[in-house]
Amino acid sequence: MSASFLFRRLVYGLVLMLGVVVLNFILIRLAPGDPAVVIAGEMGGGDAALLDAIRAQYGLDKPLLTQLGIYLGSILQGDLGQSFFFNQPVATLIGNRIGPTILLVLSAQVLSILLGVFLGVIAARKPNGVLSGVVSVVATVGYAVPVFWTGIMLIILFASVFPIFPVEGMQSVRLRDAGLWVRSVDIAHHLVLPAFTLALIYLAQYARLSRASMLDVLGSDYIRTARAKGAPEHSILFKHALRNASLPILTVAGLQFGNLISGALLVETVFNWPGMGRLAFESILRRDYPTVLGVLFFASAMVVVANLLTDLSYRLADPRLRGKT
Amino acid sequence: MSALLEIENLRVAFNTRHGEVTALDSVSLTVNAGETLGVVGESGCGKSITALSVMGLIPSPPGRIAGGAIRLAGEDLTRVSEARMRALRGAELAMIFQEPMTSLNPVFTVGDQIAEAIMLHQKVGHAQAFRDAVALLDRVGIPSPDRRARDYPHQLSGGMRQRVMIAMAVSCRPRVLIADEPTTALDVTVQAQIFDLLNEIQRDFGAAIILITHDMGAISEMADRVAVMYAGRVIEEADADDVLDHPQHPYTRGLISCIPALGKGDTELREIPGVVPPLHRLGAGCAFAERCAHRNGRCDSGKPLLVNHGHHPAACHAVQEGRI
Ligand SMILES: Nc1ncnc2c1ncn2[C@@H]1O[C@H](COP(=O)(O)OP(=O)(O)OP(=O)(O)O)[C@@H](O)[C@H]1O
Ligand code: SF4
Ligand SMILES: [Mg+2]
Repeated sequence: MSASFLFRRLVYGLVLMLGVVVLNFILIRLAPGDPAVVIAGEMGGGDAALLDAIRAQYGLDKPLLTQLGIYLGSILQGDLGQSFFFNQPVATLIGNRIGPTILLVLSAQVLSILLGVFLGVIAARKPNGVLSGVVSVVATVGYAVPVFWTGIMLIILFASVFPIFPVEGMQSVRLRDAGLWVRSVDIAHHLVLPAFTLALIYLAQYARLSRASMLDVLGSDYIRTARAKGAPEHSILFKHALRNASLPILTVAGLQFGNLISGALLVETVFNWPGMGRLAFESILRRDYPTVLGVLFFASAMVVVANLLTDLSYRLADPRLRGKT
Repeated sequence: MSALLEIENLRVAFNTRHGEVTALDSVSLTVNAGETLGVVGESGCGKSITALSVMGLIPSPPGRIAGGAIRLAGEDLTRVSEARMRALRGAELAMIFQEPMTSLNPVFTVGDQIAEAIMLHQKVGHAQAFRDAVALLDRVGIPSPDRRARDYPHQLSGGMRQRVMIAMAVSCRPRVLIADEPTTALDVTVQAQIFDLLNEIQRDFGAAIILITHDMGAISEMADRVAVMYAGRVIEEADADDVLDHPQHPYTRGLISCIPALGKGDTELREIPGVVPPLHRLGAGCAFAERCAHRNGRCDSGKPLLVNHGHHPAACHAVQEGRI
């Protein structure tokens, strides 16, 4: 792994972020709706003079390109602007909510990859067996069913039938002041349903993908060599084959990360998870441009970082890629 | 004394979309310690399937051993447990494959891959096994073995990879070493080096070698005895010199006349006209009939048996009838 490779990927990531910021800025301005009207509405309505005053206050009266220039300038200084609605710095708003979102996204990612790959590997062992069939069915269903439906079904199931997992929020109110350990367990307990709901779609995809990838790899000559050495079956599967089969899985994991984040925003709304999801949803309705842009900025930054990590893990998994650029 | 490895009346069947086909039929072969048995025949005649049967590596499904016995020092490998077979594979039985480019795992260093073979069968730790692997790489003629042991397969040439495969195969001093067309994918000078290496290894380790090839030239240099296969059967078997100098079966004669140096004066590379019939279309008669100049009515109605009709065993009606 060369330092120049890392450096180039970082620069590439930054350029990508810049492009994303510009694109978001323009797209959101193309969408219908006027924040001044919404803000005036919150204040109990107003005339044209008030609207102009609001526009002037938030710099919305300047030409679009000038606004873009001002926005880029402040981003470079680490300032994401003020929320129109909360009258707080966007960075503070997001800072308070990004932790739960990252926790949810990463748990779902880890859960879906570990469980999905495990199921896929087991299914690949007997491609015509029962488990293989079950994985295919679950994969298809999991892929076809929308997250909010899964979420709502799980809420119904666990709220009334088996009340063992909380279906709402991230922490129990009565445990807010408990010790770190108790609170961690409490958060993990709350995390189960949202993380599982989010993981389910991707879990199914990973299971199907790793089954296919494993079947492919298990037919290769080096697997026969490993068998000819007398390697036991678990070593054939999890050592010799999985390492090779993991490359397409890594690719998809990297590509899916963006979808996972947008899925997380939905799941957060369903389970009332205190992350960026609700903030994004409400800010869009309120035409709170700086907040929407800020959420998009962080979401894109997470995707860019995830892609960088994917590239790095690719090189760890496949020695043939090391030393290449 | 019975032979080290005895294959007796082996039958291997595959489930295909044409129904069940017999890939090996009544195959009997023996190999003694320190001996090299050459197995020759055109592509698809069942050489690799024979080798994989011995290793217990017939892909199943679709394949299965449908009859016969494979005895290693008296123990019938077709009846032992999978655990026993695993203990034998790599330790007593080893195999070098046709495809050096793809037979090594791309994500592990070659040293680790050899060390793994050692650790699977001997009670040694990784450090010791890796040192042994380096010594083996040195033994099979790989320059700067310490450095090479830390290389990945893609950093080595085809010849080097085949040397690695050989090092891995002999790492536990197997009693039977099967080399399935070990040089087909390599260029000519490297081929000669690999054969020399196999000869040396056999001298040092005393292994019985089964050398599979469709190259009669390699047979004349390497083999003590030869079995000629055609469409899943052994159709001629004898000492290498006998087969080369007095081929009996029309197919063997054809094979030998195809070697420019050994053929009757012409240097042009020839081939036996026609192709091996697909397994699902094997009829009641001799599988070679469609390509044979000596065919008569008997050849279409009954399969010739592998019997000694004079010089050495051959499965041909014409030989039996003294017509050729
Ligand atoms: N997985 C399989 N399914 C069905 N038939 C198979 C399978 N593997 C091998 N066979 C059949 O078994 C026969 C023997 O194959 P084998 O690989 O032993 O040939 P070979 O003599 O080693 O040829 P080559 O010189 O090309 O390596 C072939 O005709 C093939 O059709
Ligand atoms: S048995 Fe008949 S067809 Fe077969 S090789 Fe002999 S002569 Fe030819
Ligand atoms: Mg073969």
